[in-house]
Amino acid sequence: MTRVRVTAPSASARTAVRGVPRPLESREAAQDSEVGQVFVRSLIRSQLRLALVVAGGFLLILAAFPLTLMVVPGLADTRVAGIPFGWLLLGAGIYPVIGLSAWLYVRTAARNEARYRDLAGEP
Amino acid sequence: MNREHCGPERHGGARVNAGIAIAAVTVVSLATAVIGFYGLRISRTTGDFYVASRTVRPWWNASAIGGEYLSAASFLGVAGLILLSGTDALWFPVGYTAGYLMLLLFVAAPLRRSGAYTIPDFTESRLGSRTVRRVTSLVVVMVGWLYIVPQLHGAALTIHIATGLPSWVGSVAVVVVVCLTVVAGGMRSITFVQAFQYWLKLTALAVPILFIVFVLAGHGAEPQSLPAVNPTGVAPAGPYQNVSLLVALLFGTLGLPHVLVRFYTNPDGHSARRTTLIVLGLLSVFYLFPTAYGLVARMYAPDLARSGQPDAMVLRLPGELVGGMPGDLLSALVVAGAFAAFLSTTSGLVVSLAGVISQDVLGGSVRGFRLAAVVSAVVPLGFAFMTGSMALAGSVGLVFAFTASTVCPVLLLGIWWRGLTDAGAIAGMVTGGLLCGGAMIAGAVAGSGQTPAWLAQPAAWSVPAAFAVMVIVSRATSHRIPGTMPRIMTRLHTPERPLATER
Repeated sequence: MTRVRVTAPSASARTAVRGVPRPLESREAAQDSEVGQVFVRSLIRSQLRLALVVAGGFLLILAAFPLTLMVVPGLADTRVAGIPFGWLLLGAGIYPVIGLSAWLYVRTAARNEARYRDLAGEP
Repeated sequence: MNREHCGPERHGGARVNAGIAIAAVTVVSLATAVIGFYGLRISRTTGDFYVASRTVRPWWNASAIGGEYLSAASFLGVAGLILLSGTDALWFPVGYTAGYLMLLLFVAAPLRRSGAYTIPDFTESRLGSRTVRRVTSLVVVMVGWLYIVPQLHGAALTIHIATGLPSWVGSVAVVVVVCLTVVAGGMRSITFVQAFQYWLKLTALAVPILFIVFVLAGHGAEPQSLPAVNPTGVAPAGPYQNVSLLVALLFGTLGLPHVLVRFYTNPDGHSARRTTLIVLGLLSVFYLFPTAYGLVARMYAPDLARSGQPDAMVLRLPGELVGGMPGDLLSALVVAGAFAAFLSTTSGLVVSLAGVISQDVLGGSVRGFRLAAVVSAVVPLGFAFMTGSMALAGSVGLVFAFTASTVCPVLLLGIWWRGLTDAGAIAGMVTGGLLCGGAMIAGAVAGSGQTPAWLAQPAAWSVPAAFAVMVIVSRATSHRIPGTMPRIMTRLHTPERPLATER
């Protein structure tokens, strides 16, 4: 069990070691090839698209909450177990939406990475 | 000790027992120091000092992130603001939590995979420029100092209300305890301290409010006021202010230096995401309680809003509604939790600032780290003495706006856009910093209540402006895109090899 290298390499140090093949660099070299870069670009694109879709969906729901309260008269003051519904919705109801969005994202992002691994032929 | 000596009585607010409160603060400080010194025995190398050797388990790490993130603003400020302005203020806890969602979506895994310690490390390696590094360091140090000042104001307020001692005692006590623990243990021990403090803060808010609700229900107490009624004449915030606040909180979180440095303690990108997921759960649970305090205070103790110190509401509510010995003990618990909040956020910020300052100025040794830690804690103490305290949630909200206008664009574009250049990054950070900083100074000069809404909440225009300048200048200087860019983008986004082979 060896330790992960923990120092952040400075830019000058990195240029100095370039050309000396370390185990990690052979893998990076494979990724530098034209085909490798195509896979990498497609991974980045799909991760960005995923993040934007989740963020956009969440913001829509977030905006829908106060709009619902505004559009339906009396809804905000309806009592549920003694607590006004407006308080329940904004004070507690948004958190499950955040958690669900996060969980969906983590699952899908890991799946995108697994697909990249398969394509790039990494172990 | 004189048990009847209490906080400022002219406010007519509930009293907090001074002796028990001092005991509570002492216990929290001692526990922090003991856990810190325990950590000293297992932190030896420079790596331990900075990022806990990246071997912290997700649950520990998530608790530590929660502990570090929940500051004076979350513990005292949010509930006070909800008491003052009702459902409008609920956007604060929602924004603080949703900011973590943005962090998860756009930053968590790539930043961990970048392999850098600090934000300046990241910008330097991504853009291949020492100048970008220096500008980023400057911005990060400013953000950190701006953020520590409200913590010290919160500590001053708490000590004054709880014990009747002069306000400066609170700020100085926080700085001394933080310096001792950071200098002794570095990041590794801080991780244990922070994790402990998350659970302490949660307990310190949850137990008193549950007890209060239980007592109120048992007595069949009648509410004095409706939740929808504002106890003071504070005008409700307009839609512009709510939107601008959300922009600041959503985008500000992903640039906070003390939050970001935590991601380097995850073993890989995937566990960085898992950690963030747990953090979101911990924050969601935590923020239910300030909301409950605000609601209960609006219904049963609206007088607390008229004391002129709504931030002290959480400290006074148990005494006001329970009273007697149980009230004293519950107040002491709240005081302990509040003190934990100041300590944990301040020490997290001091660790990250010390990392930046020592790497850039003092050569990155352990000795340099210790010296830098003392500097990063003492300078904001001076600021805190010079400035008057304003509403905690509001002043922390402005720090988020500043972060969202400076660090956030360079991180987001650096991670996701191949076209970013060093010139663009510098131009954007300077623009965002000047616009947002200018608005903050103008607002401070004009005084609260006199500031127009667009100046009081600058994020809605300063953040887009920073992004726009960064993109336009990068496009104009596209010949400066570093040759290492494709390799670094690959590293940021591709999964690490399975742990078994890497370690």
